[in-house]
Amino acid sequence: MKKKVISALLCAAMVGTMLAGCGGSTGGSGSTAASGDAKVSDDTLVYWSMWEATEPQGKAIQEAVDAYSEESGVKVDVQFKGRTGQREGLQAALDAGTHIDLFDEDIDRVNGSWGTYLADLEDYAKAADYEATANAGLISACRDSGGGTLKSIPYQPNVFAFFYNKDLFDQAGIKDVPTTWDEFLSVCQQLKDAGITPITCDDAYADCMIGYHLGRLAGEDKVKEIVADGKWDDPVVLQMAQDYQELADKGYFSENVGSNVWPAGQNSELALGEVAMYLNGSWLPNEVVDTAGEDFNWGCFSYPAVTKGATDTATGTEAANYGAQVLAVNKDSKLGQEAFDLICKITQGEFDQKLADESNGIPADTTNTEWPKLVECAKPVMESCTTRYTWAVGIESNDDMTPIIKENFIKLMAGTLDADGFVKAMTDASK
Amino acid sequence: MKKNKGMIILFLLPAVILFCLIFLYPIMRTLLMSFFKITGVTDSMDMWQFNGIGNYTKLFSTGLFVTSMTNLAKIWLFGGIIVLSISLLLAVILTSGVRGKKFFRAIIYLPNIVSAVALATMWLQYVYSPKFGLLKTFFTKLGLESLSKTQWLDNEHKFGALLIAYCFGMIGYHMLIWLSGIERISPELFEAATIDGANKPAQFRYMTLPLLKGVFKTNITMWSVSSVAFFLWSQLFSTVTADTKTITPMVYMYTKVFGAGNSVTEHDAGVGAAVGVILSVCVVIIFTLCNKFIKDDELEF
Repeated sequence: MKKKVISALLCAAMVGTMLAGCGGSTGGSGSTAASGDAKVSDDTLVYWSMWEATEPQGKAIQEAVDAYSEESGVKVDVQFKGRTGQREGLQAALDAGTHIDLFDEDIDRVNGSWGTYLADLEDYAKAADYEATANAGLISACRDSGGGTLKSIPYQPNVFAFFYNKDLFDQAGIKDVPTTWDEFLSVCQQLKDAGITPITCDDAYADCMIGYHLGRLAGEDKVKEIVADGKWDDPVVLQMAQDYQELADKGYFSENVGSNVWPAGQNSELALGEVAMYLNGSWLPNEVVDTAGEDFNWGCFSYPAVTKGATDTATGTEAANYGAQVLAVNKDSKLGQEAFDLICKITQGEFDQKLADESNGIPADTTNTEWPKLVECAKPVMESCTTRYTWAVGIESNDDMTPIIKENFIKLMAGTLDADGFVKAMTDASK
Repeated sequence: MKKNKGMIILFLLPAVILFCLIFLYPIMRTLLMSFFKITGVTDSMDMWQFNGIGNYTKLFSTGLFVTSMTNLAKIWLFGGIIVLSISLLLAVILTSGVRGKKFFRAIIYLPNIVSAVALATMWLQYVYSPKFGLLKTFFTKLGLESLSKTQWLDNEHKFGALLIAYCFGMIGYHMLIWLSGIERISPELFEAATIDGANKPAQFRYMTLPLLKGVFKTNITMWSVSSVAFFLWSQLFSTVTADTKTITPMVYMYTKVFGAGNSVTEHDAGVGAAVGVILSVCVVIIFTLCNKFIKDDELEF
């Protein structure tokens, strides 16, 4: 009898432990609300952030959240999920009805992949006169991505352009940045004559060059058409390949361009002053600051305009992939106003500046005119942008082709494939 | 007897319920999903559109997926030969009475306790570096100029570079499994063989190997399971966007389910589920073949 009682007790304990183990948990790090309760109370504002708590952006956002909580008395539970956590977990959590009021990610992903979960922010923005100090181009980009209405608010803007080492340009006697492809070739030659390797890149960003070049020749819609429908026999593809073959033939690329696995090119070639130019986003100076140092003399110019072989849908230097991270409110949130107020706290005034300063990023608030020194060079490029490309000008829009494009383009840059070979390889691969 | 049955059911019930919830339900759901067109993993069933075997035919007509399966097959076969043979050799050496057995065992196992991210960074940014890499220095010192100039991470060599780096980290784990198998064999058998005049190679060929059949089967199964789940190393060797030389079906599945790189691409959880089913079938086939061809119950010792 005694044994049976003990058995029953042990069994109950086992089941109890298992069920306790299956219980929910708030689990977030950096929570400012009282965590430990299995469920966050309805009056707590839950914010899923794409940053890590230890990143400069995460730290600045935490400060903004703390300030907002103190001023408004609203409890905020910030959960720093990181890029991967956000990408893998947000949609599933929203589908499961998890209490999430506010979240952020890249402008195209939020409005594209998660567009159906977003609340319309037009009324909130109007009431707060938000656009008075917001970057008009980015707000317009948010409206475009949101299907004509404002469903997200931009912060941490970025622009994708050529970043270069001004000291090396000076050393080669280059006075002006190139605005056309011919000027670009001449700059490359001057650098080479001065014994400086003109261009490098890493595998992760290699295909952005093709995207930009094709975008310059024929516009983004054409790039997407080529990639989606396999129209690699289009004359602009051959033109692009010939232009890049010329760069390779003339020795303008780093000899390691065929084997650079990110971040080898940006860290051990560009940041160490061995190579002059690298096509990347305005986050680059911050990414390599530990190697390049605070006193690295950064320059920036928009991808040059290409006229030879251009079509009537060609775009010039006024077009760039510029964008931002965006904050969006869950359409099912009961704390829409509070969420928008927190958005204002993060993206305007003091904390927008703080976010920019601490991450060497670009401020979103137009009254914050002081850009951090490392990215100041991108200001003219950002301000001159009137046409927005999406990421890599759409060259990565067909995920079944991206690795193949990358492989063949890297070979073209490394000189192991010529222009005709590139076109043939791509045409064959897309059959 | 009746009371005992009640107790059996009572004790089994929690495990059975959890097994059904955590294993059986996801497996059945994934299998079902693979026959539907589904955008998001968590889409409700009323949004699913029946697609028959469309996801499977689409996969096998997509060049990139076929490439990823080929890469996986190469990792499994060539990596398996490298890892299992070297780990067996090391296990035999360590059990042959060599001095410092514990020290060497610990050293060889060490890569397993180092984060894969750190290991991959070491290989990518140091060993294979064309500027100051270990291989460059090594071959330069040997006077092999052409080898020292090899770009180990270019398209031609990237798969080999990945395979070597991955195998380096896996040898210790499989060596431990071999070790446990060899140590299970009674030393008296080896002593008797030595007295009968059998030298070490003969003992290995005619005693150790036949008695390790069961362990061999375990090793192949473990290797197959870890190969099929090949993801992290592939991601580390081609960050942001996938690479034709390092893409594996798991990476392909990830890009289909969660999107690829920085671009917003169409999600296709149905195709992702089909990839999962194909990989599971591969493991089952390997396991069945192992069971059929490697009989480990012929010898008792």
